[in-house]
Amino acid sequence: MASTQHALLSPAELAYLHAALSLTPPIRPDGRSPAQFRPLVAETGILPGTNGSARICFADGTEAIVGVKAEVERTRGGYEGEIVEGGGAEEVVTDVNDEEKKGESDWVEMTVEIPGLRDDDATTAFLGAMISEALLADGGFSRRLWINRRFHWKLYLDILLISPPLSYPLPLLSLTTHLALLATRLPRLKSEGDEDPFFDDDWAAARYLYPRNKKDGKTTARPPVTLLVMAVGNNIIFDPAKEELAVADVALAVSIGEDATTAATATGDDASLMMDVDSTTAAAAITSARNLRLLSIRTIDPPSRLTPSGVPNATNTAYGAATTQKQPEARTAEAEAVEGVWRAPRGGAKPLVMAALVHKVLEKGGIADEVLDALHAVDLG
Amino acid sequence: MTDRRRINGPVGATIPLVFEDVEDYEQVATKAARSRAPNAVRKMYLKTGVTPSASGSAYLEIETSGKGGVSGLKLSCTVYGPRSLPRSSPFSPHIILSTHVKYAPFATKQRRGYLRDPAERDLGSHLEAALRGAIIADRWPKSGVDIIVSIIEGDQDRETSKTQGDEAWDIMNALSGCITVASAALADAGIDCVDTVAGGVAALVRDTADSSPSIVVDPIPSEHEKILASCCVAYLPTRNEVTNLWYKGDLPASDMELYTKLVEKGIQASTNANRVLLECLGETVN
Repeated sequence: MASTQHALLSPAELAYLHAALSLTPPIRPDGRSPAQFRPLVAETGILPGTNGSARICFADGTEAIVGVKAEVERTRGGYEGEIVEGGGAEEVVTDVNDEEKKGESDWVEMTVEIPGLRDDDATTAFLGAMISEALLADGGFSRRLWINRRFHWKLYLDILLISPPLSYPLPLLSLTTHLALLATRLPRLKSEGDEDPFFDDDWAAARYLYPRNKKDGKTTARPPVTLLVMAVGNNIIFDPAKEELAVADVALAVSIGEDATTAATATGDDASLMMDVDSTTAAAAITSARNLRLLSIRTIDPPSRLTPSGVPNATNTAYGAATTQKQPEARTAEAEAVEGVWRAPRGGAKPLVMAALVHKVLEKGGIADEVLDALHAVDLG
Repeated sequence: MTDRRRINGPVGATIPLVFEDVEDYEQVATKAARSRAPNAVRKMYLKTGVTPSASGSAYLEIETSGKGGVSGLKLSCTVYGPRSLPRSSPFSPHIILSTHVKYAPFATKQRRGYLRDPAERDLGSHLEAALRGAIIADRWPKSGVDIIVSIIEGDQDRETSKTQGDEAWDIMNALSGCITVASAALADAGIDCVDTVAGGVAALVRDTADSSPSIVVDPIPSEHEKILASCCVAYLPTRNEVTNLWYKGDLPASDMELYTKLVEKGIQASTNANRVLLECLGETVN
């Protein structure tokens, strides 16, 4: 998969960029520090017709909207449900422990739309798979959609990039999805046990998918975020722009989540009660170190492999090199690496470099903490 | 007037009684446990040049777990090219790879359609990332190559119920097979690579609810109680480089040691597959 369309840069420009990014400290084209994100504008609850929505606009002009719609669906092959139905309707099971609440991955449907790309494009499938993979990694998310043994919520996540893809849109789409899920509310359930579900009409009484503290309105559990990180030379660079990605040696997408054990997982009627009881301990858990979880890692095929290589002066006929060989392409391919002349990287990345990238994301007080802190600060309305 | 020519059944419907077969029940209850050592991969069979009309082709078979009703992994890969790009396409200084991975409709428990679904497209892009690092792409400007992998049997256990086996983990094994077989087919087609790339899978599994998790190589998801994390690695042994890494699961970030070990085991599985690959290519040359 070519992770973006070609950045139209000449070999000389690529060599310059690569050299600038390999310095210590690296000099990025937009003047950011290696671990600095692009500034962004975020808002939630922009679409009244959805259960939850969010919009994020990056400083470079890329903008995404996510809308979440929920529908009640009968649980397929309701094996346990049928037993209850056959065994007599009087036997209403009210206390279902958390272990029994088991979700399935097809309760979440995700579509990604990127202007200028076909629906069946590999990039779209790759982005969609990556975001949903992180969301479903621990099974905790689909458990939130559990209504009773016979019914569940089916969640449709529609991710729309509304600007042209000026940079690799993964971090943008992931952050927008994160905020949209935090803002998602589901109607309050009025029925009990395994009855046909019946909901409260009052939207003001709707429950958040990710329950919040009464005190400060902050959630304890949070959906995962996916971060893009790349390595050039000895430097590790976060949130690369398109031009930076064009000279990457290796690029990884790392999805992280917060540990669900510190947070309440219930979404039912008892959620608010639990939040009241837990609020002091949960708030303490937030202020102390958070327990990050590593959910998924994918290698992004860096577009640098598709860039044209430069021709060193020693073999350039315009600079007086002898034209002995018939195939100029073959010659440039075998030429020795010359400093300052761009060559598209070959091969992969050393395992140690990859481990260093992941470590840098996850370390205490590292970039993951910083991003999650910043997202905590977003007013969820 | 009632129908008097036939003997009609009673009006009320009855449901025939179904007795659960005790033997079947017990067989399902006692799951097949892993019989290999944690470091041992399954045996595999690899052969190149199986499709004469293609420029390169390979066939890979990985043995079953030995239990009845379980199919192994059977993959066939064909490579067409390098061939010139159509006149309408823009100039490319490199060879353009296009990878297609398709499960045969009968390869998995649940029938798959003829059109590629998002999971198959996703596999295709993983395969492309793994191969692009291995191919020396600038030796063929203005040309393209098509790599088509068909998964004939998808390594799934028919016996396990739907809730037990999770297809999300099977896909890792399929990808590692795809990488190995595509690498063999590329070599058969005579396309220059920096090294042969092979895939390997390692997983962190828990066998019983209360035992501590352990890392196994080349896991079969139905043999384990729960898979906590799994990773698929595409590795170039002579350069000591990873071209594609796909990790999925749920690990505490504080325990990086575990993750590093998982990737190490994945690399080990990949080197094992690479040995088979080299032997197979050696046979073809002689």
